[in-house]
Amino acid sequence: MTAALDSRTERWWTTASVGLLLPIALLSAWQVLGTAVGTPRTPLPLNIVKAAAAMIASGDLPAALLQSLGRVFGGFLLAASLAIPLGLLMGYSRSVERNLDPVVETFRPIAAIAILPLAILWLGTGTSAAVAIVAYAAFFPLIVNAVAGAKNVNPTLLRAAATMGLDRMTTIRTVVIPAALPSIGIGLRIAMGVGWTAIVAAELAVGAKAGGGGSGGIGQMMFVFYAYSIELNRIIVCMIAVGLVALILDRMLRAMMRRLMPWAIQ
Amino acid sequence: MGDSVITPPKLRLDGVGKRYPVAGAPDTVAVDNFSLDVRQGEFLVIVGPSGCGKTTVLNVLAGLDTPTSGTASIDDRVITAPGPDRGVMFQDYALFPWQTVHGNVEFGLRYGPAGANLDQAAREQRVRHTIQLVGLTGSETKYPHQLSGGMRQRVALARLIANEPEVLLMDEPLAALDAQTRIVLQDEMLRIWGQDRSPSERRTVVFITHAIDEAVFLSDRVAVMTAHPGRLKEIVDIPLPRPRGDATRALPQFQALTQQIWSLIRDEAYRAAAA
Repeated sequence: MTAALDSRTERWWTTASVGLLLPIALLSAWQVLGTAVGTPRTPLPLNIVKAAAAMIASGDLPAALLQSLGRVFGGFLLAASLAIPLGLLMGYSRSVERNLDPVVETFRPIAAIAILPLAILWLGTGTSAAVAIVAYAAFFPLIVNAVAGAKNVNPTLLRAAATMGLDRMTTIRTVVIPAALPSIGIGLRIAMGVGWTAIVAAELAVGAKAGGGGSGGIGQMMFVFYAYSIELNRIIVCMIAVGLVALILDRMLRAMMRRLMPWAIQ
Repeated sequence: MGDSVITPPKLRLDGVGKRYPVAGAPDTVAVDNFSLDVRQGEFLVIVGPSGCGKTTVLNVLAGLDTPTSGTASIDDRVITAPGPDRGVMFQDYALFPWQTVHGNVEFGLRYGPAGANLDQAAREQRVRHTIQLVGLTGSETKYPHQLSGGMRQRVALARLIANEPEVLLMDEPLAALDAQTRIVLQDEMLRIWGQDRSPSERRTVVFITHAIDEAVFLSDRVAVMTAHPGRLKEIVDIPLPRPRGDATRALPQFQALTQQIWSLIRDEAYRAAAA
């Protein structure tokens, strides 16, 4: 028993150390080469770690992340509350789909960043514009996956519900929606990722317009480091922070879905 | 109806045909000119080779398939849509993957009209009883993907029974079971149908099977179908005494009826096997 456990722990360590070998080698090479041939502004691994520690200690990085996180959640929830019901309806009813599909497909290829000028003109450079852009970006993966989920309901299940005398609304609630949930879940995960892409872009641009003013957020923070103080180490800290937060959120979404849908093998 | 001389049939198939258009070829005829009356309280079994249109006939009765000619009716009303008066057990079980065994069995009672007159306690009682009946006690919280084929079939059977529909339409409901369980559930089928009650209190069953001995054991009449196109070949009366049980299977008459039906389909069965 203990022997088996020991050998398993040992195996884990072996795998982990082999997996870490390459990253450590690359980071060391980066540090050595950067020091040898780089300029004083060249970002280096050790300086990035130092910058990260300073940004966390001062509270600037957590504050900016929290600001962006709130906007991503706001836009995400706004988009979900519109896109999921609409998508389910489109997937369930062919006539609704025929009417809405051309509209959705026309807007879908227009990148979120392209509606930025309108968002800024109409909503200003603050939180509402950022939320609108996140919502716009998140809307499409959500609706496309909700449509697919509702469309791919096993027709035998709908027939079974019909033979048990379920009315239309009950059928949607008890058959169509549960059957579409795994697909909706995929939409939520994609939308969360897209939301982060959009927020960084939006805050970078809004930061530009506000001239480094106080609209906040991680993107604006990056803009300041880029346009004013030129601190590449800190920009890289921001990039890593966004990546890590997005990863954690995705894992949380996945865990939530596994709890919510124990029947769906993922 | 009062004093009417002849009770109308529970189910009537009147010249039912079903053809499917095939691009650049003559239509495929799944079922051709099929006429059959099923009496109230009758246990009717349909046997026939694969592709003889048995499932199509059942789907027409369920209201899931519209005939291209002829009509199907229940109590003299033409069938145009599915309804809770006709419960269906599907060949691929049609279990809801997101519901547990308990949730699947409870489904029609909870969300459909079948449970309208039951309070929660009565519903729970019926669900538990039905689960016990099909031998799934202990598996209530499992999901369909965690079950074997035979267990899934029993869940589908329990779901149908729990709804207590007037008419039970069953497409090979016992096919995935092992031989022992199958015999146990054949006995249960007869009990659920109401073999201990008077014919007027029995449910009406249309049951599809490949197994001829099963057909003879269960039914009042066996409708034998042939394939290409699906036609009704012959109706065989099964006058074996009821209630039926283990002793029935040993009767010489049981063997003779099984032989008779086998002789009706054997040529076609051999041809199908050779093809």
